[in-house]
Amino acid sequence: MQKKPAAPLPYQDRFGLSSDDLRQVLRIALSRGGDFADLYLEYRGYSSIHMEEDIIKDTAESIVMGMGIRVIKGEQTGYGFSNDLAFDKLSRAAQSASAIALSGASAKIRIPREKPVVRNFYSNDEPAHSAPLAKKIRLVQEAYGAAQKHDPSITKVKASLQDMVQYMKIVNSEGLSVQDARPLVRLTCLAIAEKGGQREAGYSGGGGRVGLEYFEHEYSARDIGRDAAGEALSLLEAVPAPAGEMPIILSPGHSGVLVHEAVGHLLEADFNRKKTSIFWNKRGRRVASELVTIYDDPTIPMFRGSYNIDDEGTLPKKTCLIRRGVMVGLLQDRLSARVMKQRPTGHGRRQDFSCWPIPRMSTIYIDAGSHHPEEILRSVKKGFYADRYQGGQVEDSGKFTFSVSSGFLVEDGRLTTPVKQATLIGTNIDILKKISMVGTDLKFGLQTGTCSKEGQDVPVSDGCPTIKIERMTVGGSR
Amino acid sequence: MNPGAAAELRDLAQSLVDFGRARGADEVEVSAGDSTEFNVDVRRGKIENLVEAGARQVGLKVIKDKKTAYASSSDLSRETLQRLIQRAVERARLATADEFAGLPSFSPKDFDIARLKLYDPEVPEIDPAVKVKLAMETERAALADKRITNSHGASFATYVTTGVLANSHGFVQSYDETFCSLSVSLQAGRTGGVVEDFWFSSGIRFKDLDPAEDVARRAVERTVRQLHPRKIKTQRVPVVFEPLMTSWLMGFVFSCVSGVSVYQKTTFLAGRLGQQVGNELLTIIDDGLLPGRPGTRPFDSEGVPCGRTIVFERGRLNNYLCNVYAGRKLGLPATGNGEGTGVSPNNFFLQPGTMTPDEIIASMDQGLILIKTIGHGLNPITGDISRGAFGLWVEKGEIAYPVSEITIAGNLGQILKDIEMVGNDPELQSPVNGPTIKVREMTVAGE
Repeated sequence: MQKKPAAPLPYQDRFGLSSDDLRQVLRIALSRGGDFADLYLEYRGYSSIHMEEDIIKDTAESIVMGMGIRVIKGEQTGYGFSNDLAFDKLSRAAQSASAIALSGASAKIRIPREKPVVRNFYSNDEPAHSAPLAKKIRLVQEAYGAAQKHDPSITKVKASLQDMVQYMKIVNSEGLSVQDARPLVRLTCLAIAEKGGQREAGYSGGGGRVGLEYFEHEYSARDIGRDAAGEALSLLEAVPAPAGEMPIILSPGHSGVLVHEAVGHLLEADFNRKKTSIFWNKRGRRVASELVTIYDDPTIPMFRGSYNIDDEGTLPKKTCLIRRGVMVGLLQDRLSARVMKQRPTGHGRRQDFSCWPIPRMSTIYIDAGSHHPEEILRSVKKGFYADRYQGGQVEDSGKFTFSVSSGFLVEDGRLTTPVKQATLIGTNIDILKKISMVGTDLKFGLQTGTCSKEGQDVPVSDGCPTIKIERMTVGGSR
Repeated sequence: MNPGAAAELRDLAQSLVDFGRARGADEVEVSAGDSTEFNVDVRRGKIENLVEAGARQVGLKVIKDKKTAYASSSDLSRETLQRLIQRAVERARLATADEFAGLPSFSPKDFDIARLKLYDPEVPEIDPAVKVKLAMETERAALADKRITNSHGASFATYVTTGVLANSHGFVQSYDETFCSLSVSLQAGRTGGVVEDFWFSSGIRFKDLDPAEDVARRAVERTVRQLHPRKIKTQRVPVVFEPLMTSWLMGFVFSCVSGVSVYQKTTFLAGRLGQQVGNELLTIIDDGLLPGRPGTRPFDSEGVPCGRTIVFERGRLNNYLCNVYAGRKLGLPATGNGEGTGVSPNNFFLQPGTMTPDEIIASMDQGLILIKTIGHGLNPITGDISRGAFGLWVEKGEIAYPVSEITIAGNLGQILKDIEMVGNDPELQSPVNGPTIKVREMTVAGE
């Protein structure tokens, strides 16, 4: 799957700035002192197609262009940005960023040397962004049609395709100069089923750092539509969730959102550097059942959360966060790594040029264990099986919640009644320690996820095998 | 703000409208914005982040033969923008003709923008040193309380924006806005028992912000009251929503009365117009013309004048909130809530009642005061609500202890009928707001 990276793009033409210009901007940024400065140049083309009520309702195209300038001094960050790449505008943005350092020595500016991207995690045989619009419209229509024709009780469908190509270049005062061109595509479908005055929605989608070939080989537009309709139909049969404490089984794949919300965020280095995360003093200590090993891996080919370089130019690494129950690592960006005297792991990400990088997840997952999924199910006499989710949230204190859109009751080791709309709530270390079985069946969730932190959205993916939690609070209405 | 920005952007928008028409578009709408932001985050007495920047953005909509295409760009070179328009006209051909598509057919020329008090000339002039000092003072005052064990930091931010809208029916209008906010976010308690919360003061006018000590005091109170929570058994009890929680609930109400959701049938309130949906205590209004308030604007993103729409009147569902497209689909008026292809609230609020929050709490023999929720778990199609929650447990009309690791579950349709008390204390800092309310009964899940 891994191919050679595409030939470097003519950035100088795209941004109209020479390497001398960029060095001059760095010089202004560090003119009042500071340990480090970097420039982030971005040019992104984005397009989308929306279908609903049986028609292609609209199409859209957008361009994001600009430069962000960052100065770091100690733990302090100064930031300026501009969408106008005229040199005088960039100088002013660099001066704004320089204001963080009011005195003191400036870092030396090394002459940037172009660093090649060594591994390519994108598959882009048929780049979505430059594909003919008519072909993309056809994919949207296929997903829409498959959902609509799936069953007469499907009363409403929405389908959309979004694609993007993001050209970015990073130049820093330590002499790094690196660039990347990241593809991203997503085809999603929402279906609503109605019966006897009851309405339920189902959702599916796919994509990643891929081209349109994905929808032929990996997950077809028709299957996406059918799966969305299928979920809506099954929810029509679902009853409200039970409430109270009980054993929980997490479905493989989709339940990765639990790992992301309940554990991943609090292993981002910034919250630990600031000692606000419950994990800040737990390194080397037991924080989970010994069945639990958690990785974050930005290098899984084609995944939505993957990248060849992070948004600070660091090569990403598969990073072990929890090994057999012991906390062993954090997701690091440059700033936190430097302050904590650790190595960057390549998890410094940003939404766009107007944001500075912060530690983020890419694809986080619980590694496969040794229990057969059937065996896990059979071990529960009465409990709740959480299958699909709407999302979740965590506090730094470790208290988290996530919303289950569909699941099942477990009775005598079997899935019985379908259940809808429940909330799971707990405190992360407490729940991690209550994990009593981990399946052999590691799967990854839908390639459509977006994570929000401090107002910045980035694409992510997640995964997990079938998991049993001894006890957890389910919030339902009965 | 760059003083020439409005004139410059008006000229640009007008020229793009003309260009689009010349390239064969039947209708063209261009929005342009110029924004300047300043943000300082301080943490533990030091500046952590300092941002100062300006950016411009252009949005385009073209309609050709009742087919629509959109585009936007932060690259404002004339060449790029003209290419985007050209491509949008070509792309529109591939969409499907839609009789409801198109710009509003009328284009008012007169707006009394000054009356709305959206701009405070003091905001762009605030000395950065003053902004840093305010954030520092707020955090220092909060950390002075021994119960506070850590800080996520305090922030002061200002935004100065100019928005322009022009369309091919001769509409060209612009207005300037300011916004400033001071906030602090805290932790209390030690490992295993950490609790956290925040408070803020925000508004259009710098002078209207609360003093640093007040913001700090509220943040401290809100945080430490959660210390040493207990778990409770799963049960059905009355639930009192604090004003911020009512605001959250009103946000969900808004998404359920959105005309877009109604024509798409993605709300349980579709088809209920004119019906008694809630009880007599429930009057909910959307008003875009309240001077100096955060949700105020003269016209929406399509140039439809904002006004006052009574959404629920004493429990009766009187109006949906529509953009031009949803209005045409439903045969209802556009209400000045347009925002891109969707709708957004102006000042959307539950009309306050007469009871004080203390009277409402005193009315509960046993129940929950909802102070914070986390997670997703709102389903506009069914009205179902299921969220992680934090609260204060009430026994015999008095707050007994904090509770955590609970969820609340209910259905909005039922809640609208079950609101049995409405307070006199709305939280007006948010455009979507309401006072303390009491809901007769909800499921609170715990152990």
